[in-house]
Amino acid sequence: MDPVIDQQVEVSSRGPREAARGIALSRSSVKRRILIDRLVRRLVTLGGVTIIASILAILIVIGVEVYPLAGKPAATLRETTAAAGGGSPLAIGVDEYMEAAFIVDAGGITLISLKSGSAIPSPALAGLGSARIVSASPAGRGGFALGLSNGRVIPVEVRFNVSYAESGRKVEPEVVTAEPLAVDPSQRPIERLARIEGAEGPVTAAQVGAREIVLISIKETKALVGEAKREETRKTLSLPAKGEITAIALDARGDNLFAGTSMGEIVSIGLRDTAEPRVTSLGREEGGAIPSITVLGFMNGDRTLVAGDAGGGVASWQVLQDAGGDRRLTRIYEFASHEGPVVAFTPSRRDKGFLTADGTGAIKLHYATTGKTLLDVPAGGAQHSTVAGLAALAFAPKADGFVTADAAGRLSHFRLDNPHPEVTWRSLFGKVWYEGYEKPEYVWQSTGGTDDFEPKLSLTPLIYGTLKGTFYALLFAVPLALLGALYTSQFMHPGIKGTVKPVVEIMAALPSVVLGFIAGLWLAPMMERVVPGLFLLPVVVPVLVLLALVLWRLLPAPARTRIRPGYEVILLVPVVIAGIWLSFGLGGILESALLSGDYRGWLLRALGLTYDQRNSLVVGFAMGFAVIPIIFTIAEDSLSNVPQHLVAGSLALGATRWQTATRIVLPTASPGIFSAVMIGFGRAVGETMIVLMATGNTPVMDWSVFNGFRALSANIAVELPEAPEGATLFRVLFLAALLLFMMTFVVNTVAELVRLKLRKKYRYL
Amino acid sequence: MKNFWKSGDPFIWLTAGGLAFSLLMVAGLVLLILANGLGFFWPKDVALLVLDDKTAVMGQVMEREEIPQPGAPPGTPKKYRIQVKQGNRDIYGQDFAWVDESRIVRRERPDDAVVIERREWGNLYGTLKEVREDGQTVGGGEEGWNTLQERLPQAAHLLAEIRRIEKTEIGAINHAQEKIRLQIKKLSSQGRGEGPEAARLKGQLDALQAVYTEKETALAAHRKKDTVSVVVSAVGGQEKELPLTQVIRAYRPNVMGPGAKTAFYAAKVWEFVSDDPRESNTEGGVFPAIFGTVMMVMIMSLVATPLGVLAAFYLREYAKQGPFVSTVRIAVNNLAGVPSIVFGVFGVGFFVYFVGGSIDRLFYPESLPTPTFGTGGIFWASLTLALLTLPVVIVATEEGLAAIPGGLREASLALGATKFETTWRIVLPAVMPSILTGLILAMARAAGEVAPLMITGVVKLAPALPLDSFWPFLHLDRKFMHLGFHIYDVGFQSPNVDAARPMVFTTTLLLLGIVLVLNLAAIVLRNRLRKKYALGTL
Repeated sequence: MDPVIDQQVEVSSRGPREAARGIALSRSSVKRRILIDRLVRRLVTLGGVTIIASILAILIVIGVEVYPLAGKPAATLRETTAAAGGGSPLAIGVDEYMEAAFIVDAGGITLISLKSGSAIPSPALAGLGSARIVSASPAGRGGFALGLSNGRVIPVEVRFNVSYAESGRKVEPEVVTAEPLAVDPSQRPIERLARIEGAEGPVTAAQVGAREIVLISIKETKALVGEAKREETRKTLSLPAKGEITAIALDARGDNLFAGTSMGEIVSIGLRDTAEPRVTSLGREEGGAIPSITVLGFMNGDRTLVAGDAGGGVASWQVLQDAGGDRRLTRIYEFASHEGPVVAFTPSRRDKGFLTADGTGAIKLHYATTGKTLLDVPAGGAQHSTVAGLAALAFAPKADGFVTADAAGRLSHFRLDNPHPEVTWRSLFGKVWYEGYEKPEYVWQSTGGTDDFEPKLSLTPLIYGTLKGTFYALLFAVPLALLGALYTSQFMHPGIKGTVKPVVEIMAALPSVVLGFIAGLWLAPMMERVVPGLFLLPVVVPVLVLLALVLWRLLPAPARTRIRPGYEVILLVPVVIAGIWLSFGLGGILESALLSGDYRGWLLRALGLTYDQRNSLVVGFAMGFAVIPIIFTIAEDSLSNVPQHLVAGSLALGATRWQTATRIVLPTASPGIFSAVMIGFGRAVGETMIVLMATGNTPVMDWSVFNGFRALSANIAVELPEAPEGATLFRVLFLAALLLFMMTFVVNTVAELVRLKLRKKYRYL
Repeated sequence: MKNFWKSGDPFIWLTAGGLAFSLLMVAGLVLLILANGLGFFWPKDVALLVLDDKTAVMGQVMEREEIPQPGAPPGTPKKYRIQVKQGNRDIYGQDFAWVDESRIVRRERPDDAVVIERREWGNLYGTLKEVREDGQTVGGGEEGWNTLQERLPQAAHLLAEIRRIEKTEIGAINHAQEKIRLQIKKLSSQGRGEGPEAARLKGQLDALQAVYTEKETALAAHRKKDTVSVVVSAVGGQEKELPLTQVIRAYRPNVMGPGAKTAFYAAKVWEFVSDDPRESNTEGGVFPAIFGTVMMVMIMSLVATPLGVLAAFYLREYAKQGPFVSTVRIAVNNLAGVPSIVFGVFGVGFFVYFVGGSIDRLFYPESLPTPTFGTGGIFWASLTLALLTLPVVIVATEEGLAAIPGGLREASLALGATKFETTWRIVLPAVMPSILTGLILAMARAAGEVAPLMITGVVKLAPALPLDSFWPFLHLDRKFMHLGFHIYDVGFQSPNVDAARPMVFTTTLLLLGIVLVLNLAAIVLRNRLRKKYALGTL
């Protein structure tokens, strides 16, 4: 049945009946109808606006998740306890819940409850005797050591025992000491001390004279039977430096000992080899002289050395291989300076952040990877007051706070709100000098195997990958789509237009996972065999098409009229197939003749390019399936909508079909074609499954068509399920989504506006 | 020659060539999927290849390809190798073997070659030696084959019974126990962990445990009945004894006629669409994936259609046309061009963590920190896709509304109908086909979309369907399987890609079929509409 009639019958058959019911117009029923009408109007308006608002909320929600990345860290003073112990603290530490702390001073270790602010009674330090504590090694994971005035060293550990009871969590600190070590037989005081727990046993470095360091490493080998063997190696090092030693540091592997001197030098001593100690100058002048080094310490991971000097300077250093293969200490970043000499340093155990403080009590939070100083807690400000000058500083184990001690032995404890220290504008988009890298680079590597792995979150390689994939996809799709659109709109017979357009629309509907699967598992190994032939395609197929035309013209006229103009495309299908077959055949011949039968070897030798099986060539081709129909449809629309009288006028004046198409239709429709390409660009940028399945997903940065890439979209799809909510990676992935959103939204809006303008133009033509 | 170029014909032919290439791409892709997807279930003959070193390979020939000879002088005769599916993964270590054709001495097609599909370890190829019961031979050779055919249904029945007890009965007990445990946890979090109510619940728990033990005994008794086995000798002399409950089907392709092969094909296709996957999704069926896809699309439609229609009616019928509405219209249009993964990210941030997390804190505090709604699930995935397809519905409905002649509305209003009555009785029925077109396009889009699902709740293997016999029957918080993700997962994450590829092609064919049929329906519907309104506006 004709649907039109059907509809009319329905309307008329329903109309009177409904009207009959409505005609019994009582006042109340009219009122009710009007009420319903108003109600529905409100409802639809409310619903419509809500839905539109919720669409716009996408931007807001993603933005809200990204926003904390831009947040500034903040430190707030919780409490300052009354002085406990004897003053002039040497070291302090705190537990992971920040409920208990300890202070080391000349008389021993004082344990303090941060909840009550008072000292927790504890027994006197074993092994101290009548000596006094004069130095302490930095407290890191596990234990540290105390240097005594009588040339002995006590290894010590403050354990925070956590127990859970009805009333909640309870933290009980406990001091555990090991057997003292007699370092200096002549009983000189231990001036400075560094100690690490190496893989084979503890290594202790103690400075006993102005230029003398005693190094004691203890190897404990556990025998199957009998007692454990304890083997002590002792080495005394005399430094070749000019100045006196003012700071020492040991790396956790026990490879290197670094000493800072009063002449501003860093002396590095290899402990595993017999190479001469190497002296590196700070290279910084303060008031005409190189300032002496006051603190030296390692970042989490023990690769980056931080040096603070008497001029207030803070810099990070790494041992890097230079061009000659020589390993030398290289300065990486210089951080914001303190006003006075740097007196304390403490690294975070969670990331690459660290705190430095000067004697006035000003504290700065730096981030070693980005070279940025994130936070500045001024001295004597409202936030905290250090009357007697700051003496010691320690990061909380979870890096969510820190404690300071002033010269009088008063402990202040701070909360630190610093959720995303590693993210800065530069670390996301610029080059960053990561540990172990020879120079600053763009790196995306969000997860790694080891505990002290540092996520490297540069979005640049991903944006690069997205643009690379888009470029190759458009390079392939735009010419084909535009040629096809031009032909379909201008030259094709309407009889087959009705079939061709739905076919192209179906092409647009192909699920991208299907395209990705075919591209990755079937096309990629297939293409690998015929690469030379692929590059011949754009030459061979057009030549063959022209050849077909020449042959066609040679045919007698009666045969030619059998096929009407506008049906050429059917004739050309076998020609194109033949062209493809011929290109691959020629490609094989060319390969064996010119490229010695192995194009991959030739690529590597002649151009220095490697061939990945899943590469941009495959992606470009597969993405063509997704992009061609979009460009085709929009371009075809705008070409078809060029007012017919323009075309007719041109043809009437004697222009050929081709002249009319290129000189009249194309210029008129050019904004539409521009917007078609833009929308195609938007589709290619956001395409996920094809790039995920058809590239190797390695975040490399090169333009080679034979390599893969890692795109923003594929990266989100792979990494978001693994990213913990609220973590930096999670938010950076949201930022990636925001970037994609902006890219496509802006491009699409421009395209849409252009199209609207075009529509207006046609109306006036 | 000058005329040749001047006529413009060469250029026209070149543009036609461009179009022909694009059309060939589509046709080629569809043909490729058809050819690979349809052939998978056809029982191929089993070949016995005797090699020059007196060893032999038995299996189904899958593929033949040229052996690349880089650096060989031109004119060297081409060499070929064939890929044989030899099965017997537990004996040979891998399912597939490449055999150089030059090494094959003789090819045979033994009549007694038998293929056994197993529940584990893939296919078994060989010759039937005997059927055993309790270790005693009950039939060998040809007689054994008949015995095998006789006993297979019994074994299948036994297995079905065991599965029923495991899944339905014991599953119900587990479900009930889990619920009681959560209730006890809830009570103790309220500080009533020792009260009479808790005691009553603990009593129930013990009762359930008793039933459970009983069922376990029944199960063990059933398992004891599994005594029949089949012995197959593989090429190379190894023998393999296989309990009949492990056998899905046994067949001898070399003696099957076309009728038998067609029946076999039909049975395999049915298994594919109705059965659960086996062997990490590389064998068996894809029923849970079909179910998940359909259900997700249905929930999506239920959400997207009313919302999209409401928005379209607002924009076209109720809102005052002006710069605001134009801006909104552009925004909605552009939203259709926003990458689907961005919608997925929104779904994760808003639905899963914000809404889901809030629901968990309010209604399911007893099961925290295990999330209920605060993790990906079918509901969140459907909502995400609903948002993704909303622009499709809005645009299609708006187009339909714009095409309805204003005269229709005016006539109704002139007769005294209110705006609502006009909209409800005149406009809505007239625009229904457009809404349907939009809905079909939205469904097609949703069925083929994978990227946003990957982050909002799709899994490679869901332990249970989102719909089952336990209250509240529809479990919107469950993870689900999806055809598109199945393709990605099996094709790219599977350890045995060679074995998985035909399966992926078949799944691809299925997905492509669904999407294409939906799209064709939309196109046909739209064309009919255009004709109707072309007349209607007169």
